[in-house]
Amino acid sequence: MRCGTGIEARQVNELYINIDPIQAGGRLTADAMKAVIAYGDGYSVCDNCRKPNRLDYISKPPIAGFHRDVADWLNMDAVRVVPGARRGFQAVANTYVRKGDPVLLTSLSHYTEFLAIEGSGGIVREIPQDTAHKITADATATKIEEVKREFGREPVLAFIDHVDYQYGNMHDVKAIAKVAHHYDIPVLYNGAYTVGILPVDGKDLGADFVVGSGHKSMAAPAPSGVLAATKERAAEVFRTTAIEGDVTKRRFGIKEPEMMGCTLMGATLVGMMASFPLVKERVKHFDRELENNRMVLKALLSVSGTKVLSEYPRNHTLTRVDTIASFDTVAESHKKRGFYFSGALEEKGIVGVIPGATKVWKFNTYGATTQQASFLADAFITIARENGLPLTP
Amino acid sequence: MTFQALYTLTDIRIILRETAPHHVLDETRRAQAQRLLENLERQVASLKQEMLK
Repeated sequence: MRCGTGIEARQVNELYINIDPIQAGGRLTADAMKAVIAYGDGYSVCDNCRKPNRLDYISKPPIAGFHRDVADWLNMDAVRVVPGARRGFQAVANTYVRKGDPVLLTSLSHYTEFLAIEGSGGIVREIPQDTAHKITADATATKIEEVKREFGREPVLAFIDHVDYQYGNMHDVKAIAKVAHHYDIPVLYNGAYTVGILPVDGKDLGADFVVGSGHKSMAAPAPSGVLAATKERAAEVFRTTAIEGDVTKRRFGIKEPEMMGCTLMGATLVGMMASFPLVKERVKHFDRELENNRMVLKALLSVSGTKVLSEYPRNHTLTRVDTIASFDTVAESHKKRGFYFSGALEEKGIVGVIPGATKVWKFNTYGATTQQASFLADAFITIARENGLPLTP
Repeated sequence: MTFQALYTLTDIRIILRETAPHHVLDETRRAQAQRLLENLERQVASLKQEMLK
């Protein structure tokens, strides 16, 4: 079935259990799907835009209220919606980083954080991870001292991921932020894998900025996200335009340069808004998600040789495993090579593991029902049995 | 009425997602699906009546 010339209708989530590590938290709620149907037209949220003509002032649909609610929910003072977390990084980097400025990232930072710094002419210095793939406050302090020796000044900004994309490990942002603030370094909390997944209290964590991803973790269409700030920082990153045309003398009211005026003007924003009540509720039940993850991991670990590379026990459902001594041993002699594994999963109705991957791979059980998690667990064991892999009791 | 029917189909779509891959419905979901499908039939019938009158 097609929804346009050459565009097949996508039915991945209707036909399969999808454990793709980056897709799990962005699946739409029913209300978001309904909102997308109604607000698919471009500029669809602008029907009732009145002076001062800015997205976050529109009250019908209730965009203004949504902004206030998200700020309260994250315990921050101001929020803007952005086209993806990356645009949040970019807005903050553009505001604080000048050419040659050192900026702290970590050795587990997402590439878009690097690009945001690059775009502003900054120089990245990474806080190294420890042997458990964790970023610590001590390593942060050491790195800041190194940067001071190298540049003769502190980093101008620190981007810290609460849960990183590589291992799904949870890092002690609160302790890291405390160290950064000791040196007067503003902290951007990257909540791409947490905002919309588990409770986030920006001020308690010591964040100057909280960035969330709508399409990764808030059950919203792409590209969408949020950038929240404390009152002090909001005045800087959400400053209003001062530019004036020399011929026309035009000025542009209260538009914000870092937001390029208005940001999400249709289905992306209304989709995120429509999901928000359920998202607020679901973060309170993250323990259920961890339980499902545990069930699946227990099954995987019962296949002899399988290792969890992420911190264990898990604090997040995004998990990295090493199956070199288990599923990969089959790939060596299988006629489909490594593709046998993703093929076998697909035959059972499971997708989301990179085709061909049998050595080190990631999965995310977030959003699976208990029945689906149980099905998933059984599927891994069945594939192991079918291929003669030993199971531990 | 168009939106109502589309939204009912959306609710059906969610059931498909929650029961993937085999779509075996337990009693609760079966009752929910039945109610949704009956609503859909009514909504399509109304639409037919309104558009083709």
